[in-house]
Amino acid sequence: MGRRKSFQSFKRKYAWVFFIAPAVVVLLGIVIFPLIFSLTLSLHEWNIIRAGGWTWSGLENYATILFLDPYFRTALKVTFLYLLGTVPLQFALGLMVALILYRITRKIIGFLRTSLVFPSIMTPIVVGIIWRLMYNPDMGMLNYFLKLLHLPPLNWTGSPLTALPSVMMADIWEWTPFMALILLAGLQALPQEPFEAALVDGASQAQVLRYITLPLLSPVMIVAILIRLMDSFKTFDLIFVLTEGGPGMSTEILNYYTYKYGFKFFHMGYASALSWLLVVIVTVIAMILIKTIRSRGIYAAGG
Amino acid sequence: MGFTTGKIKKIIFVVVTVIVFSIILFPPIFLFLTSIKTELDALSFPPKWIFIPTVKNYVQIFKTSSFLRYIVNSLIVASTNTFVSLALGSLAAYGLARYKFRGSENLSFWILSIRMMPPVAAIIPIYIIMKKLRILDTPWCLVMIYLTFNLPFIVWMMKGFFEDVPREIEESALIDGCSEFDVFLKIALPLVAPGLAATAILVFIFSWNEFLFALILTILYMKETGINWGYMTAGGILALIPVVIFTMLIQKHLVKGLTLGALK
Repeated sequence: MGRRKSFQSFKRKYAWVFFIAPAVVVLLGIVIFPLIFSLTLSLHEWNIIRAGGWTWSGLENYATILFLDPYFRTALKVTFLYLLGTVPLQFALGLMVALILYRITRKIIGFLRTSLVFPSIMTPIVVGIIWRLMYNPDMGMLNYFLKLLHLPPLNWTGSPLTALPSVMMADIWEWTPFMALILLAGLQALPQEPFEAALVDGASQAQVLRYITLPLLSPVMIVAILIRLMDSFKTFDLIFVLTEGGPGMSTEILNYYTYKYGFKFFHMGYASALSWLLVVIVTVIAMILIKTIRSRGIYAAGG
Repeated sequence: MGFTTGKIKKIIFVVVTVIVFSIILFPPIFLFLTSIKTELDALSFPPKWIFIPTVKNYVQIFKTSSFLRYIVNSLIVASTNTFVSLALGSLAAYGLARYKFRGSENLSFWILSIRMMPPVAAIIPIYIIMKKLRILDTPWCLVMIYLTFNLPFIVWMMKGFFEDVPREIEESALIDGCSEFDVFLKIALPLVAPGLAATAILVFIFSWNEFLFALILTILYMKETGINWGYMTAGGILALIPVVIFTMLIQKHLVKGLTLGALK
C-alpha cells in the first residue's frame, strides 16, 4: 500500500513530462535539429547543384558577407529603409485611427473589428495580387486616380525610384489596421479612474491625452511596435508578388536576399550564413519583446 | 455652444472613420469586381464601374487549371496540420499551465521564441534534408513544416486558456482517483473548448495562408506568359472565402491570436 502511494505521488510529480515531452521532442526534431544543421552548413562552402560535397570554410562565409559583399550592404540598406518607411507610419496612423474610433464608440462592434483585422489575416499572396492589380501601369486603379487628379501616370513597381515606396505603401495598407486594432483594444482596457480624476481637476483634452492616455497605453504600444518590427524583417510574399526584389536590387530586403541565395543561386552554405545573421537580428528583437511581456501583464479588451 | 462644437467634432470623426474604412475595403472590393469582369472589361482603362457581371472566370479556373487539385491539397494539408498540432500543442500547453517545475517558465518562453524565428532560417536546412530523404513533393512534408510555426503558437495560446480555468474542479477529480490524463481529456479540455476552437481556426487560417513554404517545397509557380487577371483575381477571391468566414467566427480571440497572446 505504501509503495503504491509513493508511486502515485511520483506519478503526480512527473506527470508534466508525459504532457510536454511529445511537443518538445517534435520541436527539437523539426526546428532545433535543422537550425544546428544550417549552422554547420554555414561554416561550409556548398552549392547544391554542382556535384561535390561540403568544403569546410570556417567563418569565411560570415567574413565575406560582413566585409566584402556589396550586395549584402545594399540589402541591409533596403531593409532599414523599408523598416523606417513602414513601422513608424503604421504606428502613427494606427494610433490616430484608434484614438478616433475610441471617441466614437467605446466598444469594438463586429463590422469595425472584422474590417480592421481583414488585411492582416488575408492570405498574403492575395494581398500581393490585389496591389499588383492596383499598381498595374496600364489598367490599374492608382494610375486612374492620378489621371483624375490630372497627374502623369507612374510605373509604380517597375521603376527603381518608385518600387520601394510602392511595396511600402502596400505594407502600410496591410498592417496599419492591425496596429489600430491592437491599440484600440489597449485603450478599451485602460482603467477609468485616472480619467475621472482628470475630469474633476479640469484637465484639457490635450493634457489628458499627453499625461494619462499615452503613458498608460505605452506597454501596448511597445508590444505593437516590436511585433511589427520583428515581422517586417520577415516580409516576403508582398515583395515576391510585386517586384521579386527588383528592379535591380531596389526592393530586395535581407530576407529576400537570403531566399535568393538559397533557392535561385543554390549557394546553400552562404544562404545559411545569411539566414543565421537574420536569426540573430530577429532574436534580439524577440528577446526585448519577451522581456516586455514577462515583466508586466499587458491587458487589452477581449477584442 | 458646447453642444454644436461637440456635434461638429463628432461629424469630423465619423467622416474620418468612413474614409479610413473605404481605404481598407476598396482594394479587396476591386479584386472582387475584376474577378467578375470579362477579360475585355477587366483590361479597359479607365476602369469600368458598370458592366455585365460574369462567373466565367470562376468556371474556367476550375475547368482548365490544376486549381481544384491545389485547393483540395491545401485543405488536406491545412486540416491535417491543424489536427496534429492541436493534439501535441494542447497536451504541452496543459502541462505547462498546470505543473510548475524548475524551468517551466523558461520552457514556455523558449517555445514562444521559436514562433518568432524567421521562416527562411528553418526552410533552407529542411529543404535540403527533405530533398535527401526524397519526400520534397509530398503533402506530408508540408504538414510537418507547418508544425514548426503552428505548434509553438498553439502551446502559447492554449496555455493562456488553461490558466484561465480554475483548477479546483480538476483537483477534486484527481482526489476521486481519475488519472492525470483522464482529467486533462474529460475535464480540462471540455472547459476550454471555445478557446480550443478559436485556436484551431486561427491555425487553420495560418496554414491555409502560408505561401512561402508551399512555394519552395512544391514549387508552385504561378508564372505564365502574361497574367490572366480573370483567373488570378477569381483564384484570390476563392482563397479568401474560408478566411473571411472563419475570421467572423472567432472575432473575440483575434487580438490575442494575432499578438501571440502578448495582449490578454
